Amino acid sequence: MFTARSISLLLLLATPAWAGAQTTQPPASTPAQTPPPETRAEELRREREEKQKHLTPQQPNAVESAINLAEKKAMPFLQRDGVYAKLGSLTTSSGFAYGAGFRNRRLFNRHGTGDVWAAGAINHYWAVEGRMSYTPNPNGIVTVDGFIRRVHYPREEFFGVGPDSQRANRSDYKTSGVGSGVGVTVRPTKKFSVGGNVDYLTPRIGPGTAGDIPTTQTLFDETTAPGLDQKANFLRTAAFVQFDTRVPINARRGGWYGIQFDNYDDRTTGDFSFRMTQLEFRQYVNFLSERRVLAFRGWLATTDVNSGEQIPFYLMPSLGGNTTLRGFRALRFRGPNAMLLQAEYRFEIWAGLDAALFYDTGKVTDRRADLNFKSLEHDYGIGFRFNTDQGVILRIDAAFGSSDGRHLNIVFGSVF
Amino acid sequence: MAVALLAATVVAAVSPPRFYQDDPIWTDDDKLLDASKVTFVEDSNGYDFLINTFGKPGQRRDVRALNVNTVDEVPDSSWFVNRIGRRAMTIEDIVRGPDQRTVASLDGWVVSKGKSTGVQAGFRMNDPSGQTYQIEFDPPSNPEMATGAEIIGTAFYHAFGYHTVEVFLAELDPKKIVIAPDARIEDPLIGDKRLMTRRDVDDVLRRSAIQPNGKYRVLASRFATGAPLGNFRYYGTRPDDPNDIAAHEHRRELRGARVFGAWLNHDDSRGVNSLDFLTADGSKKYVKHYMFDFGSIMGSGTKFEQRHRAGNEYIVEWAPGWLTLATLGGYVRPWMLIDYPKVPPSVGRFEGVAFDPIKWVPEYPNPAFENMRPDDAFWAARIVSKFSDQAIKAVVEKARYSDPIATKYITETLILRRDKVLKTWLAGVNPLVDFAIDPQGQLTFSNAAVDVHAATPASGYRLTWARFDSVTNAATRVGSEVTSQEMLSRVPAELANTRAGDYIEVQVSATHADHPTWAKPVVVHFRRVAAGWQLVGMER
Repeated sequence: MFTARSISLLLLLATPAWAGAQTTQPPASTPAQTPPPETRAEELRREREEKQKHLTPQQPNAVESAINLAEKKAMPFLQRDGVYAKLGSLTTSSGFAYGAGFRNRRLFNRHGTGDVWAAGAINHYWAVEGRMSYTPNPNGIVTVDGFIRRVHYPREEFFGVGPDSQRANRSDYKTSGVGSGVGVTVRPTKKFSVGGNVDYLTPRIGPGTAGDIPTTQTLFDETTAPGLDQKANFLRTAAFVQFDTRVPINARRGGWYGIQFDNYDDRTTGDFSFRMTQLEFRQYVNFLSERRVLAFRGWLATTDVNSGEQIPFYLMPSLGGNTTLRGFRALRFRGPNAMLLQAEYRFEIWAGLDAALFYDTGKVTDRRADLNFKSLEHDYGIGFRFNTDQGVILRIDAAFGSSDGRHLNIVFGSVF
Repeated sequence: MAVALLAATVVAAVSPPRFYQDDPIWTDDDKLLDASKVTFVEDSNGYDFLINTFGKPGQRRDVRALNVNTVDEVPDSSWFVNRIGRRAMTIEDIVRGPDQRTVASLDGWVVSKGKSTGVQAGFRMNDPSGQTYQIEFDPPSNPEMATGAEIIGTAFYHAFGYHTVEVFLAELDPKKIVIAPDARIEDPLIGDKRLMTRRDVDDVLRRSAIQPNGKYRVLASRFATGAPLGNFRYYGTRPDDPNDIAAHEHRRELRGARVFGAWLNHDDSRGVNSLDFLTADGSKKYVKHYMFDFGSIMGSGTKFEQRHRAGNEYIVEWAPGWLTLATLGGYVRPWMLIDYPKVPPSVGRFEGVAFDPIKWVPEYPNPAFENMRPDDAFWAARIVSKFSDQAIKAVVEKARYSDPIATKYITETLILRRDKVLKTWLAGVNPLVDFAIDPQGQLTFSNAAVDVHAATPASGYRLTWARFDSVTNAATRVGSEVTSQEMLSRVPAELANTRAGDYIEVQVSATHADHPTWAKPVVVHFRRVAAGWQLVGMER
C-alpha cells in the first residue's frame, strides 16, 4: 500500500494544478518573452497547452496491476468452469489440501453439472471425486445427483469407544476405499427440502502412518474397536428432511433444522449393519442491527443395531475437532450415541470480519439412556472469521478449557 | 527596506492580477484541446476500495477549490453545468431531468448483449432505431426499490448540475422478449463470450422482481453518445487528457458532492460509479464526465435493502473496530441503535430522524469529500436549498411506487434530511449572498440560510469598505466600520466616484448568538463599469 500511495503522490505531483484566480498556488511559469495573459480564459488555455506537451498514458500502478490480476485471473480460477483450483480441507483431520478439478455446469443445456477433482494434503491425505447432478427444471425443485469417490486418509485418530476413552490411548489408523451413490432432493419451496440417497461404501482399515503414536491395531482389537480387522462393504440408504430459514446463508437470523435417517447394511460379513438417526438444529438470534448474533447448535445422533451385530468404530458418531468440540483433538470421542450443544456470541468488528466467543459441550454415550446433561465434556474460546453474507472464508478459533489442552483451529468454512 | 520594495515590485510584475477583465468566468472551456488520444481505464472495485481505505490518494490540503470562479461558483464545464443552482427550474424541468424522450414500452426492442458490470441483474437492449440501453431489474425481495432509486437519483443529480444519462421506467413482458441473433454474453461460468440464449435471459428474470401482471418493471438507461473511457477518479487528473488540469480532489463539484451524497444517502459515491465518455465537439474530442449508477441511494442497496452501517461508518473504520474488539462487542456503535420504521420493501432501509449530515460517510473514504471545506459545503447546500417540498415530492413520484406509503415516506424523509443539510451546511458559515450595488450606490445582499428558514435572522451586520488594487492584490481601507440592522448599506462617498475599471472591496460579517461563524466576513469585490458596479469577487 505504501507503494500505491507513493505512486499516487508522484502522479499528483507531476500533475499541474489549475492555478485559478483564487488558488494559493502560483501560475505555471511563463517564458520571459511571452506576455502575461490578459484574460482568465487565456490563463487557463496556457495551462492546458502546457500540460499537452507532457501527456502520458494512464498506466496502472503495481498494486492496481496485482489486484486486476487477482480479480480477473486468480478469482475466476477458483470459481470458473473448466480447470479450477481445489482448495480446502478433505476431512476434519486432513488439514489444508490443494488440488485441481475440472467442472462443467453447462451440461444438458445447463440443467446438469459435472465435477471431477483430486486433492492432497501435506500429511498424505488425498481424495479423488467425480460428481454429476441434473436439475430437470430451471426452478431447481428436483435435483438428481450421483458421485463416486476414492479416499485415502492415513492418520485418522482413535482413542477408544465411549465417554471414558483415554487421551493416553491416542492411536491412528488408515482408512481408504471407494464410495459411490445416487440421490434425489426435492425442494418444493426455497426453505423446505426432502430427499434420499443410496450409496455403496467399501471402507478399508489399516495401520496409521503418523509414526509418532501407536497404531490403532497396536492398542486395540476387534472387541475394543469393532470392525478393526474386518473388510465390510456397506449399502447405505438415507432419507432426510431439512427446513432452512437462514438469512443470509452466513446467518444472522432464522434457523436450520434437519433430521436424517441412515441405514448401513453390511453386505459382506453381515456383522456390522446398523441404523443411525441424527437430529440437528441451528438457531440465530440477532440484536444491535444484526451486528451481534447469538448462534446455537444442537446435534443428536443415536444408533441401533440388531442383536449380535455391532457398529464399526469408524462409522460411529464422533466429537472433537474444528466443527464440534473445538477444544479437543479431531475425532477425540466416538460412541454409538452422541450429543453436542454449541453456543456462539458473534460480534462484527468490521464489515467482513467477525469475532466470536464460543462454548461447546457434549458427549458420546454407550447407551441412549445416557444422553443427558451429566458428565459433559466442554470447551470455550474466541475466534475470528473473515466472512461474506454467503459464508465464512477463513476461521481462526482458539479453544481452551478442555481436558485435552488448548487447540488452535485455522480452517476454511463456518462452524455452523 | 529597499530589498523588500524591490521584491514587492518583482512580485507585482510577475504575479497575475486578482481579477481579469473576463472575470467572473461562467464557462471553463475544457473542450479546448483535442483529447482523442485518451485511453480506456476502468478501476476495479477491489483497487478502488483498497487505495482509498488503506492509502490516501491525492492531496489532503485545506485549500480553496481550484476550479471555482472569482465569485466562488463553479463554471460550466465537461464536469458540471449550472442548473438549479443558478437559474430557476420548474418542477417539470427537475422531474424531466436529462430525459429528452419518453420510453413507455419495450415492444420491438431486442436484447443485444449481456450485462458485464455492476451488481444489478440486467442486460442490454437496442430500441428499433438501434440505440443501446442498459436494462436493469429490481431484486425479488424489494420490488421497485433499485429502479426507483435510479430514477430519483438521476433526476436530482441532473438538477444539481452533473452530467447524467437518460433513464426511464418501463415494463418488460417476458413473452415478448426477442434476442438479437448476434447478441453476445460473457458466460459467467467460463468467462468466454458466446451467443446469448433464452436461458441467459431467464437467468436474469429469475433473479428479478416480477409484477403481479407477470411483467417486469425495468430501468432503461440510455447509453451516452461517444466512446466509453471507464471511470474518473476522485483524485489526481487524467495524465492523458490535456484539458484536465484541476486535481479532482480539489474540484468544487466533487467536494460538494459529499453534501448531495449525505442528503440522498448516496453511500456508493465512488470513482467506479462514474463514467467518462470521449465526446465529439466539432472536429475535436473531449472527455465528458458523468455521474452514474444511483441504484444504491436512499434505502436501496441495489440487491438488498441498505445496510445499517451504510452512511454511518466506512466499511473499515479503525477506532470503532478496535473498540468493539477490546470490549468483546460491548461497545455499541451509535448507528446500531437507529430505529428504522416499518416501511414498504420498495423503500429499503432509509430514515431521517437519526441522520446527522456531519457524520455521514460513503462506503469508504473519498478524497474529494475529505477535502470538502465549509465554502464547498455551503455551495452545495445552497443548491439543495433550491428544492422545494413540492419539487421533492414530484421527483419521488417519478419513481412510480405502487404503494403510496412508499412515496409519502421517501418524500417526507428527503424533506427532513434536506432541512438538516441546510441547517448544518448553509448556516454553518457566513451565509450572506446575492451582493449587488445598484446605480444609486446602494449595496444589498441576502441571507441564504434565513431565506430557507435554516436560521433566524442576524441581529446586525458589520461592513468594512476598501479600495482594491487588483494588480497588487492590496486593499486600502476607507472609513470606519459600518453597522446595519438591515441587509443593505450605501457605498461610502469616497468610493462613489471611482473610475471605470477600478475595484472596491467590502467585507461583511453578521452577528448571531447561535452562529459565531457568521462573524467571519464574506469578502466581496466589485468592479466599476459604465452601467454601475459589477460583482467580480466573493470569498467566504
